[in-house]
Amino acid sequence: MKKSTRLTVWAIGLIVFALFPKFFGIYYSNIIVTFAVWALFAVSLNMMLGFTGLLSFGHAMYFGTGAYGTALALTHMDGLPLIPAVLSGGVASMVLAICIAPLVVRVSGTAFAMLHLAFAQFMFVLALKLRDITGGEDGLGGFDIPPLQIKGLFSVDMADPLCFFYFAIAVIVIALCCLWFVTKTPFGQIMVGTRDNAKRIDYLGFRVSHTKAIVYIISAAAAGVAGSVSVLHQNLVSANDAYGMMISVFPIMMAMVGGARSFFGPIYGAAFFAMLEEFTTRYTDHFELILGVVLVVFIMYWPLGFAGMIMKLKYKWLTWKQSRKSQGSAS
Amino acid sequence: MNKTKLVFFMFIILCCFGALFLPQAMAVDAKYDLSTLPDMSEFDPDNPVNPEGDKIKIALVAAFSGPGAASGHVFYLYTSWAAYDINKRGGILVDGKRKKIQIIKADNQSRPDITKKVTERMILKEKVDILWGSQMSHLTRIVAQLAKRYKKIHINATSLSDSLMEGKNFSKYSFMTSYSTQQIGRAAAYYYGQIRKKEKKFYIICQDYVFGRSMAKAFKEGLKEYYPEAELVGEDYHRIFLTDFAPYLTKVKASGAEVIFTGDWMPDSINLLKQSRQMGIMLPFANVFINDPISLKEIGIENGKGLVIISPAGTGNPIFKNEEFIKYHKSWNDLWKNKWKEPYNTTRFKHILGNPAMYGYSIYWAMSVIERAGTLEPDKIIKTWEGDSYQMPNGKIVSMRSCDHKTIADLHAYEYVAPKDQKQCYNIPPYYFFDGTVGAGPVSEIPAEKILPKADPKLCK
Amino acid sequence: MDATTAMYVSQGMHGVAYGMVLFLLASGLTLILGMMGVFNLAHTCFFMLSAYFGYQTIHWTGSYWLALLVAPILTALFGILMERFLLKKVHAYGPIAELILTLGVSMIILDGVKVVWGTQSLPLSPPQSMQGLVDIMGLQYPVYRLFLIVLSLFLLLVMSIILYKTRLGMVVRAAVSDAEMVNALGINVPLVFMTVFGIGTWMAGVAGVAIAPILTVSPGLSHQMGMDAFIVVIVGGFGSLGGAFLVSLICGLLSSYGIQFFPQYAAILIFVFMAVVLTIKPEGLFGEKES
Repeated sequence: MKKSTRLTVWAIGLIVFALFPKFFGIYYSNIIVTFAVWALFAVSLNMMLGFTGLLSFGHAMYFGTGAYGTALALTHMDGLPLIPAVLSGGVASMVLAICIAPLVVRVSGTAFAMLHLAFAQFMFVLALKLRDITGGEDGLGGFDIPPLQIKGLFSVDMADPLCFFYFAIAVIVIALCCLWFVTKTPFGQIMVGTRDNAKRIDYLGFRVSHTKAIVYIISAAAAGVAGSVSVLHQNLVSANDAYGMMISVFPIMMAMVGGARSFFGPIYGAAFFAMLEEFTTRYTDHFELILGVVLVVFIMYWPLGFAGMIMKLKYKWLTWKQSRKSQGSAS
Repeated sequence: MNKTKLVFFMFIILCCFGALFLPQAMAVDAKYDLSTLPDMSEFDPDNPVNPEGDKIKIALVAAFSGPGAASGHVFYLYTSWAAYDINKRGGILVDGKRKKIQIIKADNQSRPDITKKVTERMILKEKVDILWGSQMSHLTRIVAQLAKRYKKIHINATSLSDSLMEGKNFSKYSFMTSYSTQQIGRAAAYYYGQIRKKEKKFYIICQDYVFGRSMAKAFKEGLKEYYPEAELVGEDYHRIFLTDFAPYLTKVKASGAEVIFTGDWMPDSINLLKQSRQMGIMLPFANVFINDPISLKEIGIENGKGLVIISPAGTGNPIFKNEEFIKYHKSWNDLWKNKWKEPYNTTRFKHILGNPAMYGYSIYWAMSVIERAGTLEPDKIIKTWEGDSYQMPNGKIVSMRSCDHKTIADLHAYEYVAPKDQKQCYNIPPYYFFDGTVGAGPVSEIPAEKILPKADPKLCK
Repeated sequence: MDATTAMYVSQGMHGVAYGMVLFLLASGLTLILGMMGVFNLAHTCFFMLSAYFGYQTIHWTGSYWLALLVAPILTALFGILMERFLLKKVHAYGPIAELILTLGVSMIILDGVKVVWGTQSLPLSPPQSMQGLVDIMGLQYPVYRLFLIVLSLFLLLVMSIILYKTRLGMVVRAAVSDAEMVNALGINVPLVFMTVFGIGTWMAGVAGVAIAPILTVSPGLSHQMGMDAFIVVIVGGFGSLGGAFLVSLICGLLSSYGIQFFPQYAAILIFVFMAVVLTIKPEGLFGEKES
């Protein structure tokens, strides 16, 4: 893509985003925030799944820890500014990941997935049991959301859903950009290498388990930020919301349906599920059934998801153009 | 002034005096009018008729899918019955217009984030006037918060935790029309300590979360207050949806308990009862939710004996005190028998009595309040509802405490007995509630003032 | 036996009974996992489905024994269908795709039973002959739970014999270690896989009908025991029947004695056990190290 077209795309995106709440109202803006949270969460999962080939069935562990981290920080620390509150979620998840990483990088495949399922369940039970800290089933909620401010310069009230919309999207886009940047560095190449041929990476002198651990920690931190934004948005976190089984399952479905091999795939997936949920739950009580069918159909027929489809179409279009060009030159 | 007018005024004044001297029980602000029950034969929960023109929209925030989906259908059936009833009478007069009621399902899938989203959709997109729900305390709290933010009246008829209406959680827009954990726990203690005075050793088994814990706490407080000589021989909190109760029951057996107090709900409650009977433990259960007729039938009459249920819908024996209520009940029962389809034709929905009926009655009460306020403006509704007292179709009188919006009412402890002994309670043919199932028999009234719901000292001075 | 001893002994027996049912459920899971490398997330849903089939059979015929016979077979048929028409197709895409496919199937089953049987929980009683208590040296113990223990031990015995003493078992064990080689020897490996998958889901089916009279049949059934079964397989080591047996027993005993002595932490004990084992041996007690 040329630089000018890329700039125009960015500019159009920015304008649409800026005007969105004006045209669609608060309800749909809130849906966009929810979608963005899921998108970041799914992309963070996909950093492991798509790029390193590690599937975690308990990524909610980091989402939830991020959410609880922020919620606890806001409940117990008076006057905590907004940005550190968001970061505290990310850091909490990161610390947890650093503790667990040495244990889990030794395994891969199904073992890795199921180990995480068990750990996430452990966190879930813990969140229920330590009710003095976490509020148990009822969770933590009703804390004041600090304004975004620089002392004496400006202050934006984050309790206003409109302001929060811009803030949340900004945070998530920044986080996504950071992750994208990671995949473009030489380290990103090693990541993909560990997925495709771990032995070769090993022989090349890179340490596979270290690579895995670093990706793991980055992914956890990103999930923590997603959880943190989510808790600011909901103003509530409870064990089910944070560590529930479905919280782990959704990002996997988004990544698979969207296309795990592509960085942007999970975002398409998140958008697809947001729309699916918005439309189906109005007409039927059997949303789960539909989800299951969608998942099975995608796995069976389009294992590369939307991103794969787009790539295929692009490829077809290019070859078609190529063939026309060559025909044109021939005649 | 002419003579007729004078006579008329005299008559009015006399009436007013008369009203002053009426017995206490009749002194309610409003009551459900049984005598003008409309023809309900067209009511069909599967094909709700959406009213035309001006309407009052009520969002039913409950689980219709996911875990807990069973409860949503119960709420829907009983509330939409009440709505149909009111609509058949021409709706209610609000802001100078007659408005009809529309109940809208809002499926929260038992998930907090979905609850928030769907409630917001109801408020912002569907533009509902009233929020109703939800089925668990942490979900109800979300609905209450949104009700507060968007200034909508919120009816909570299903979440029993006292803490919902205390401290930071309290919002003037929320009204709790159900009984609360504090009332239940203390009512059970009052029943054993002041009325029954037989068993002395109690064992508490509750679910390990906020509701279960506060039930247990209320029962313990009640024992201290009303039954100091009682002994608590053990208490255990198990995880929700437990598979195997045997280890807990073994402890109960060894403890020498005489009564088990439990706040469990389905399916834990029935599994607890079933497994205890399978293990040969025939102790009585003081409980709230072991009333599912299909499960009780499977358990059998012998095994079902000894249940004591604290009911919010009781009126003392017998249930049917007048012809009009029999007619009311019959119009429900006929439809259940002949018209409704799955799942509404199962045994569970046979009666418009007990806990489920109260869900529907909460709609009657709220609508009566709105009609008397004459407007949908929340502040005026709040003013009317605070301190209001209302008589439900079954004759039960409830009143709304002004300071924290909790409902004050007598509760009743029903002993479950074999069908042949249920006549004292169910006094119309066939003289029992369900075929081959234990059901309510002897009743004890626990007066409202002995078991007032917990009051937050900051709200209620 | 005095009362206190009786209490401890019966706690132990409850633990064994629960552990045995857990083993029935987990053994199928670990068998499929060890054999085909597929962690079947739908396994516990088959367990639930079988309980529903059992309920329906009893509803129609009134015979529990017929239900115990028919429902697991029906369930196994469903399992085989899934293996034939779904799992096999995605096998080429790797274990992660298979895992997610089973997740999709589990969601379909979970919601499907709600469409067919509704959302309310359905009650079921033990057969007439299995009700009541039996006296074991002064200890009153429910007959049905005793039956559960015996049934599970019997099935364990039969399975061990098949696996270690028959030709089929030999083929299965060989296919686990090197499927390609076995295929090259002229044995129809896909058929063996299908059989194993069928047997695995059949075991889950037996567990479902066996546990139903103690519980109520409801869509929540799959979650109730599902997590415990997953933990058993993870801690016991993927594909290890012996490991599954041992860990099931430990789980059952931990749960019942945990409730007896530390009721506050009973729910966490099993996770602590898991964490300890996995920190020392990430591949599980009897798992083989991945190459």
